Amino acid sequence: MAGSALRRLMAEYKQLTLNPPEGIIAGPINEENFFEWEALITGPEGTCFEGGVFPAKLIFPPDYPLSPPKMQFTCEMFHPNIYADGRVCISILHAPGDDPMGYESSAERWSPVQSVEKILLSVVSMLAEPNDESGANVDAAKMWRENRDEFNKIAERIVRRTLGIPT
Amino acid sequence: MPIIVMERLPLPNLRTYTCASVLALSACIYYATYIVKDPDWNTSKSDLEIAPPNSEGEFVNNNTNNTSADERTFSQFTGDAFSVMTKEPVCVWIMINMAYCWLILLGRCVQKFVFGQLRVSEQQHLEEKFWNFVFYKFIFVFGVINVQYLEEVLLWCSWFSLLGFLHLLSQLGKDRFEYLSFSPTTPAWSHAKLLGLLGCIFAFSLFMFLVSIFVGFFQGLNTFAFMSAEVILLGIRTLHVIVRYALHLYDICRESNTSLNRDTATALEKRGPVIYYIELGFEIAALVVDFVHHVHMLLWSNIFLSMASLVICMQLRYLFHEIQRRCKKHRNYLWVLNHMEQNYPMASAEEIAENSDNCAICWEKMETARKLPCTHLFHTMCLQSWLEQDKSCPTCRLTLNIENPSDNRPEPSEIQHNPTQPTRQPLNHFFHFDGSRYVSWLPSFSVEVSQLPRLSRAAASNSQLDAMARQVQQLFPHYTIPIIIEDLRVTRSVELTIENILDGRLNSPPVFRESDDPSSSTSNVPLSLLQNNEQPSHSSNSQQNWDEITVENVESEDAVAIGSRFSKSPTEREQILYKRKERLIQTARKRYVEKQKKISET
Repeated sequence: MAGSALRRLMAEYKQLTLNPPEGIIAGPINEENFFEWEALITGPEGTCFEGGVFPAKLIFPPDYPLSPPKMQFTCEMFHPNIYADGRVCISILHAPGDDPMGYESSAERWSPVQSVEKILLSVVSMLAEPNDESGANVDAAKMWRENRDEFNKIAERIVRRTLGIPT
Repeated sequence: MPIIVMERLPLPNLRTYTCASVLALSACIYYATYIVKDPDWNTSKSDLEIAPPNSEGEFVNNNTNNTSADERTFSQFTGDAFSVMTKEPVCVWIMINMAYCWLILLGRCVQKFVFGQLRVSEQQHLEEKFWNFVFYKFIFVFGVINVQYLEEVLLWCSWFSLLGFLHLLSQLGKDRFEYLSFSPTTPAWSHAKLLGLLGCIFAFSLFMFLVSIFVGFFQGLNTFAFMSAEVILLGIRTLHVIVRYALHLYDICRESNTSLNRDTATALEKRGPVIYYIELGFEIAALVVDFVHHVHMLLWSNIFLSMASLVICMQLRYLFHEIQRRCKKHRNYLWVLNHMEQNYPMASAEEIAENSDNCAICWEKMETARKLPCTHLFHTMCLQSWLEQDKSCPTCRLTLNIENPSDNRPEPSEIQHNPTQPTRQPLNHFFHFDGSRYVSWLPSFSVEVSQLPRLSRAAASNSQLDAMARQVQQLFPHYTIPIIIEDLRVTRSVELTIENILDGRLNSPPVFRESDDPSSSTSNVPLSLLQNNEQPSHSSNSQQNWDEITVENVESEDAVAIGSRFSKSPTEREQILYKRKERLIQTARKRYVEKQKKISET
């Protein structure tokens, strides 16, 4: 099981290294364990997260790609679809069976044809356009709807922190 | 819970324990030799009662015997000393203690040699397994066979100690194998060591099986069954790991000399079911042996209303469910296989040539493939394992018409859980012992044995721990979740962790929440990417001087070196990845500062 998962992860790593999408870097933290990756994601331009470089951890199950990996930001994040502890809540990361929010169609869920690259691109678009219906972080969702200026300020602060620039 | 209590006990470390054991043993030996040195030792005791009434002649005879005893050979002397030691109760306990000490030292040596530093999850598995084993064997010895004599207890205890030791090593070997299989670059030497250890364990289990046959020959069938059950389990589990390991190594070798032609590809396709059936066989065999063993215990103990039988019944229920689950899964497997063969034809060579893509599931070249109604092609094995858990085309999400008519299709939620979490249901065994029912002065107590959810690789995302950690963090927002989780792993309870925090036993993390201290802001950034940046000085006014913030120029020649290439050597790959990350952050920083400069200028 782990053998085929390993080969597939190696292939994905190679592809992401040779052909990286703009502003995204991902790879195993330590090659001794190929099932734990770190990804750096650049905030999309023209959004409140513009310019930030957000680190996240990806943990793959032994039966990858049959089951989706788990993704968690390791920096502070404030976003309607990201839990307070950094876990990302997007439909592509949910296995076809479970539906924590109870509204996703299975077409949006994980499938083995998805890949790390696709996940990271979805996360980028999630940063750009939060889905305030699924409330992983209710406070953030509320602020996003009702008090966009305040939200932007917080996002700005987070961006600076990720870059090591004083706020 | 007993586990927590034991963890909190101030156990002495191994060195002091060994020293104490050795000291005790040497004192014991000294005592024995001291007694034996006296040539009369053997007579002094027994003759005290017999000698006085005897005639003088015989007494003299005794004396001559004694003088000759002084010329005992060394081996005789040690033999005598040993017999003294076995007669003295204190010495016996000291020797038993020494035996355990040896076992622990042996285990430590094996661990040092084969495993090196244990990982956290391995340690946890080990502890869990250890306490479970101790608990169930305790129930077995005192609840089921109800031993009456100290000798019997000692014999059973030593038997199970040895078995438990091997079980633990086997578990450790399994964990380590699973971990090693996560890495593409493991030196052959560590594979050899681990396989050697597993082989040794298997050989030992065979040997112990022979011993149990030998003992059973004299003691009857029941004793044989009790003794051999655990041995057989050990053998099956170890062999399972060895077989999996061999297959894994075979895979790696095959990969290294890749010459996939059509023949090897079809051979691979055929290999899939074989591996599946081997796995199935091992799992079912282990479960059935365990089940039969427990039924046997239940029948043997003959008292259906006791604490022991309650525990056994719980275990039986669990085992039964496991077997049932496995059978269900197998039926599902057969059904999917059958369905695939009937409805999805093998793709022709032209079709494969047309779709020159790789298989979308494993990203490897397709030599043979099956075609779905939506004309998407996949490897047979890849498709099979996907369809077992979901009934749609992975690429276009076309719902496939797989409805198992025999209504044995497990519910989707169950299928979902099968592949990733084989035994994840938390099992809580709770039972109450009311001692006063038997003897008035006996205490009453309740024991809860909980099989804690395994904190393995998925540990980081263990939802239970996370929930507990968040609970703690609400009280102490300045502690980060990872630190709390680290402590929760040890304490396994919210209250104890809170206590630890209140007592200051937890390292306080660098505070960065909501604080506007610039020096702490970098703690967010992973790695130490920002170390080489001069930390900008604190500017209290909101209008920042953007020129103050210096940004290292991103060297352009470095870009060439990093380039877009995928190195063959893992260390080089790591370095390149690190450099790329560094560069990304530097570029982002530079861009950000420049933009802010522009804004502040206008």
